[in-house]
Amino acid sequence: MRAAGTEASADAATPAPAPVSSSVGAEADDLAAPLYVAWQITNECNLACLHCIEESGPGKAFPDELDAAQVFSVIDQLMDSDVPYLSFSGGEPMLHPQFFAMVERVTSRGAELKIETNGHYLTRENCARLKELEVKAVQVSLDGAIAASFNRMRVRGDFDLAVQGLRNLRDAGVPVEINFSPAKFNMNEIGAAVDLAYELGAYSFYTGRTMYTGNAVKAWRHLQIEDDEYERFFDTLRQKVGEYRGRMRVYFHEAGLLDELRYRLQHPAALIIVLPNGLVKLINALPFVCGDFRTQTLTEIWANFRHAWRDPRVAAFVDELAVDPGRTRTLHQWVHL
Amino acid sequence: MRLAKFVKFREEKFGGVLFETKSEKVFTLSTSAAAIVREINVGGGDEAAVVARLKEQFDARDGDAIEREVKAFVADLRQRGLVEE
Repeated sequence: MRAAGTEASADAATPAPAPVSSSVGAEADDLAAPLYVAWQITNECNLACLHCIEESGPGKAFPDELDAAQVFSVIDQLMDSDVPYLSFSGGEPMLHPQFFAMVERVTSRGAELKIETNGHYLTRENCARLKELEVKAVQVSLDGAIAASFNRMRVRGDFDLAVQGLRNLRDAGVPVEINFSPAKFNMNEIGAAVDLAYELGAYSFYTGRTMYTGNAVKAWRHLQIEDDEYERFFDTLRQKVGEYRGRMRVYFHEAGLLDELRYRLQHPAALIIVLPNGLVKLINALPFVCGDFRTQTLTEIWANFRHAWRDPRVAAFVDELAVDPGRTRTLHQWVHL
Repeated sequence: MRLAKFVKFREEKFGGVLFETKSEKVFTLSTSAAAIVREINVGGGDEAAVVARLKEQFDARDGDAIEREVKAFVADLRQRGLVEE
C-alpha cells in the first residue's frame, strides 16, 4: 500500500461556489458518471418571474415532458450508476404530479437531493413529508427582503406565503438554503435579505449576477444593474460573509458569465443538466444539448457529454459571447452536438 | 468513525471521490486514500480497526507505514469535517 497522506486529498472545488451549477468542481474526464445531476423536472410554474431563465409559468409545461415511467427509469439509471447528488428544480418542481414519489425514489436509494422551489407549496404537511424523506436541503428563492420587491420580481408571487413556507421548513427541521437574484429594484435590500435568511434559519445564502436570458431579456430595463452598483452589492456581501461566519454561509459568485464559461471550457464540471423532456444540456448558460434520456442511456449520454465540451462550436459560442454578451438571449435555441 | 452526514463516497479508476454535498465540495482521492475511505465507509470502527483491516489487505511489512498514513489521512478528513464519530 502506498502512502495516502496529504497527496490523497486535493480539494477540487472551484474557488467561488455561488451558483450550484459551477460548484461541483471535480472534472468530468476521469469520472465514470456525473457527480451531480441538476434536473428541471417540469417547466410548469405557478409564477412568471421577471428574470426566469427557463421562461416558466402557468401553462408553460413542455408538451413532451417525461412521463412517470420515464422519470423513474431515469432515476433508476442515476442510482445504479451511483450518482451521489441530485437537485430537482423547474419551473416549480412541487407541481410535478410525481414529485414526492420521485423524491422518495432518490432518497431511498441513498443519494442526496436538493429541492429548488419558489416556496409557495411549503405547507406544514409538505415540509413534514420532506423531512421524513430526508432531503438534503430545500433552496427557496427569496428575491427581496420586503413584499414589494419580492412580488415585483416574482410575478403572481406572494412574499408572505414564501416566508411562511420557510418558517414551516425550519419548524420541520429541513435544512434551508436561500437564493437571491438581484435586480435594479431589489439590490439595495441585499444586506437585509441576508439578515432575513439567517432569521429564517437558513444555513446557506446564495447570490450572483442575474443573467440576460429567458424572461430577463424582455424585462431587462427593470433588472439591469450597472457595474458600479454591482461593486456596492458585492461589497455588502463581503461584509456579510464576515458577519455570519460560523453561523450561515454567504456565497456569492462575483465573476461574470464569460469568465465562468472560459473556466468551464478548460475544466468541465461533473454536472449534467436534465430538461423536463429528457434532453441533457452541457450547462445552463450554453444552448448545447449532448443527450436525450428518451433514447439514450446514462452511459451513452455521459460519454457524449465529455466529448461535447471539446466540440469547436462550444468554444466558438463562448468567443462570440465576448463580442456580443447579448447572445445569451438565444440559449433556448438548442444546438444538438 | 464514519463518513459525516451529507458526505458521499464513490470509487473511480483513479481512486475515488468524496463529495461533501452540503458545501458542494468535491475531494479527489488516490487509490490508497480511497482504500482508507472504503474501510471507513463499509467497516467503520476506530482508526485502529481501519488500520487492522488494511494490514490484512496489504503487505504486512508496510504495517508501520500504513498506520502512519491512516493516522495522518484521518486527521485531514476530520479537520475538513468529512468524518464523524
